[in-house]
Amino acid sequence: MVIPKHILGTFDEALGALRNDLLMMAGLAERSLDRAINGLLQRDDDLCANAIADDEEIDQLEKQIDKDGFEILVRYQPVASDLRRVISAMKLSPNIERVADQATNIAKRARKLNRHPPLPEVQLIVPIQAHALSMFKDSIDAFVREDVELARAVVSRDQQLDDMNRSANRQLTERMVQDRDQLRGYLNLILISRCLERVGDHATNIAEDAVYAAAAEDIRHQTLTAVV
Amino acid sequence: MAVQAKNVSMWYGAKRAVDNVTMDIPAKAVTAIIGPSGCGKSTFIRALNRMHELVPHTRVEGTVLLNGENLYSSDVDPAIVRRRVGMVFQKSNPFPTMSIGENVIVGLRLNGVRDRKFLNEHLEKSLRMAALWDEVKDDLHKSGTSLSGGQQQRLCIARALAVEPEVILMDEPCSALDPIATAKIEELIQDLKKHYTIVIVTHNMQQAGRVSDFTAFLYMGRLIEFGATTKIFTNPGQKQTEDYITGRFG
Repeated sequence: MVIPKHILGTFDEALGALRNDLLMMAGLAERSLDRAINGLLQRDDDLCANAIADDEEIDQLEKQIDKDGFEILVRYQPVASDLRRVISAMKLSPNIERVADQATNIAKRARKLNRHPPLPEVQLIVPIQAHALSMFKDSIDAFVREDVELARAVVSRDQQLDDMNRSANRQLTERMVQDRDQLRGYLNLILISRCLERVGDHATNIAEDAVYAAAAEDIRHQTLTAVV
Repeated sequence: MAVQAKNVSMWYGAKRAVDNVTMDIPAKAVTAIIGPSGCGKSTFIRALNRMHELVPHTRVEGTVLLNGENLYSSDVDPAIVRRRVGMVFQKSNPFPTMSIGENVIVGLRLNGVRDRKFLNEHLEKSLRMAALWDEVKDDLHKSGTSLSGGQQQRLCIARALAVEPEVILMDEPCSALDPIATAKIEELIQDLKKHYTIVIVTHNMQQAGRVSDFTAFLYMGRLIEFGATTKIFTNPGQKQTEDYITGRFG
């Protein structure tokens, strides 16, 4: 959908800058998550260090987005869809920042795991990571493209991620009983799985805000049937 | 509903300025009318108290009901209509030869009221309601034009209130005022709506958002959308409204 430009060009520029900062932040969070998981799967401490280093820039972007948003509210007093876009962008950025925090947590745990012999159970993380990352990417796409259907689909996929996390927890807990020497390793994998499950929660929040921004509909705290 | 406009159309000579507007204006609430210059906002509210009849070559079709009573019935006196539906204009217009006090009670005098006690009571009551009493109570004999722009506008509101109208029409009441004087008028509007039905024409959309309960968007004489102000300013139902209020119109 082509949105007509505002009569006031500086207003469009300010909205454009806000959107670009948000996209850059989401791109960095996605890269950080990717690096953290690859650091785990490839047992590469450098990738883990890079994932942790990304967090600093993402934190700065969160502050920049708040600043951009406040300035737009003060200077242009946006209304209607403009207001919803600005408010939603300001609500999105803390969720993206927390996705990056989860990437940092994963990278730190991966570094600990890398100090010990490899655990084949690390493969349990692969489908969970793929599901969480695709939810996160789609939630950002839904916001940027104002795609309400895609956003609703993201919300509906969170339950599957929760189930995958629970199943991995069960299997890893069983391994903890059988193989007590690797207790810490299995515990770190459980916590990594938990981090990815949290990424899904943040993607859900972003998707809910995407629906509000595009359609002025608040779908938070509704049953899945009502959302879909 | 305090005022019901039904299929109202208005012409200046051959030019149609208002096109078939139907609008229910709720009682004891503020209704803002927004729209670009020349969209018929001011013309439309003039139909609500027959003020347009003072302009030559104007014509109205449709009906306007005030509390169910047709203001255009042949047996209704337009002077009575204008007492029941008061008006405040863009530029404050106190009578320059009259004192502050005389400006307030002139409407009552023109209606034949001579009782000094009654006039004094209404003078104080109207100035208090217009939030001006404390500022002018010691200067009632001074000329109305000696006041500041914001005070003059509140004096005009007091003058409108003195004849105890049911509805107050305000045509860009703050467009010539500074932000502080504007804030005082906006605060006053919030007080007045407890007792009166208020219709305000404004070019300032932030003002419409701040003061009104309902907003009507007019474009090229037609009513595009009417609804709760919160709804209009967060999720308007019509694309034209959205494009106008977000500054994309043109």
